Amino acid sequence: MAAGEIVIDEKYCKGCGYCQVFCLLGCIVIAGEKVSPEGYLLPTFRDREKCKGCGICVQMCPEFAIGVYQIKTEQSQAKKARKSKHG
Amino acid sequence: MTQKVLVSGNPRLWNRSVGRYPYCPGCQHPLMERLLAEVIDELGIEDHAIGVTGVGCHARLCMPLDIDVVQVIHGRAADAATGIKHALNGEPIVFTIQGDGDCASIGSEGLLGACHRCERISIFMLNNTNYGTTGGQMGPTTLIGQKTTSTPEGRTESHGYPLHVPELVATMRGVCYAARGALTTPAQYQQTRKFIRKALKRQMNDVGMTFVEVLVACPANWRMKPVDSLKWIQEEVIKEFPLGEFKDVDRT
Amino acid sequence: MERVFIQGNEAVGEAALAAGCHAFFGYPITPQNETFEWFAQKFPKMGRAFVQAQSEVGAINMVYGAAATGKRVITSTSGPGWGLMQEGIANLCAAELPCVIVLVQRGGTPGAPSVQHAQADYFSATRGGGGSGYRNIVLAPASVQETYDLVQLAFYLADKYQNPVVILTDALIGHLMEPLELRELKFDSLPEKEWAVRGKGRQKDGRRRYVTFAAVVQGREPYPTMMSFAKHWSDKVEKMKSEVRVEMTQMDACKLWVVAYGYTARVSKEAVMEACAQGDKVGFIRPITLWPFPEKAIFEAIAKGAEKFLIVEDNIEGQMIEDVKNSVQGKTEVNHLGLFARHLPTPAGMILPHRVFEEIKRLLSKEHE
Repeated sequence: MAAGEIVIDEKYCKGCGYCQVFCLLGCIVIAGEKVSPEGYLLPTFRDREKCKGCGICVQMCPEFAIGVYQIKTEQSQAKKARKSKHG
Repeated sequence: MTQKVLVSGNPRLWNRSVGRYPYCPGCQHPLMERLLAEVIDELGIEDHAIGVTGVGCHARLCMPLDIDVVQVIHGRAADAATGIKHALNGEPIVFTIQGDGDCASIGSEGLLGACHRCERISIFMLNNTNYGTTGGQMGPTTLIGQKTTSTPEGRTESHGYPLHVPELVATMRGVCYAARGALTTPAQYQQTRKFIRKALKRQMNDVGMTFVEVLVACPANWRMKPVDSLKWIQEEVIKEFPLGEFKDVDRT
Repeated sequence: MERVFIQGNEAVGEAALAAGCHAFFGYPITPQNETFEWFAQKFPKMGRAFVQAQSEVGAINMVYGAAATGKRVITSTSGPGWGLMQEGIANLCAAELPCVIVLVQRGGTPGAPSVQHAQADYFSATRGGGGSGYRNIVLAPASVQETYDLVQLAFYLADKYQNPVVILTDALIGHLMEPLELRELKFDSLPEKEWAVRGKGRQKDGRRRYVTFAAVVQGREPYPTMMSFAKHWSDKVEKMKSEVRVEMTQMDACKLWVVAYGYTARVSKEAVMEACAQGDKVGFIRPITLWPFPEKAIFEAIAKGAEKFLIVEDNIEGQMIEDVKNSVQGKTEVNHLGLFARHLPTPAGMILPHRVFEEIKRLLSKEHE
């Protein structure tokens, strides 16, 4: 179960490839699968299961085109509660 | 049951709908907007911050930032910032964003004037080793051997050695903080963010002039792919312009 | 009302104080150093801003920044410094920022090779030397009291039109010592400067402001296109043209009219009065605004029978003479008495009343030829 999910706004992405460079887990790839209306090669969010929602791709994107969500399941929230209880 | 929570997106003080300059693919100038939006929010100074930009690729950087902004002519942001700070009796937090040419070539007079008068302003210089807007001519920080449209055979000593601005201003008593950062790794981003935060904090504490240089990629004028331009900064530019803090004092 | 005995340069400072000016940025240059030093002595003690910039380029851009905050701001310079300020002034106009710039004329370059008093910056002050063309109101005092009054008027006009206003004096008017009545002049009220930058938290509506010289920038309301800004600027120039001020003697049937501003106006007026006392009919026009130029006064003089104009202007070729010729449109003779009429061949030479008087007599006698 993925802990995070990214959303890339294809209207603004210019295919620079920084998100691919900076993702530590290799979740993002410029695979040449999609092209934006302006002709930029868009990234693909592959290997979704690996995403931890760290947000580094968001930080380094010069077009402010990425948003990152954390996926909270009942199990992950319970685990989090246990961890904070034990300090 | 799963729940999706947005944890990271556009900073609160950044609003695309106000208008945005169309930067080249891979240009790292806009990261300055993110850095400032985050730091200004963190320091709680959005009501008192005034940004000053000049002319160049950096000129429209503050457009989507929700703070007061003044745009002045090429090379004169340091002077305009001085005027703003004095006219408002030192109350606002005033910073400039300038390119390397705007700050250290045509702006060198204003930069030195502000440094030695110990103006309580923060000057942020984005260094992409060329004059970007005008098509990639040599700038004061162009590397020896670097080919630009005004040094087609590569820069030589006759054009001048690249200028090391934070090292230079660090020698001046009126400057209390001088640093250089880059944005080629997330760790460098955090370090640069820390430098910017420190610079603004020094201004908030009325210590002296503060200066931060940020190395940024310019894939368009370097004639490189964005990813290669990051590598070039890591391998060549940082060799010439080392990162770090060159001065960090509590009183001048 | 307090009266003081003071020089023209220092009267600038007193006037700025009366007008509520908050900041002065400048650079040392003869012959305005007394103005500069007045602000250096007085303003810091009053909690107002004084900064000696690293050059006039720095000074005019500090003025730009300070003007953007909505405070009243002034600078002062002479020819060489004025040259350095050109780009800054052009962009103060483009950014619609109010300020007052005092230009105390001296010569030095070919138009008037004296590094003392001269009247050779008329073209530059009225036409502007920065790029792309712009307009600024130019006020020319001829006495210490008038310097004091016009500087206050300048602050008002600058705020009214959101545009720089230039005070054009010269080294003689600047160093002249005369009695001055210190009086704060009252003007019509003006709207608050809603556009000024002071930190978002200080704005009444809490929204941020964006001041720029660029004609079109998103966020710089309310000009969505270059043309909309151009239309606004054009309308503004038309409105500024209504601010003409002139001193004119109301004599009918004068064939000869003398036109002068600044120190030569003082000199010429004396010569004209002497000629009239002797029975000659000589008119006198003293433009107080050099831009907008008082062309209606010239039309009126022609309607009253003018056949010759004598422009007394302390430079070689004549500069204001071109504005007079523009207004005269070839209907009468236009003459110039300039630098070569000075009483000494050195920079200390001046155009003196008796010389203007001689010229008046000469021109009047020609009609009998």
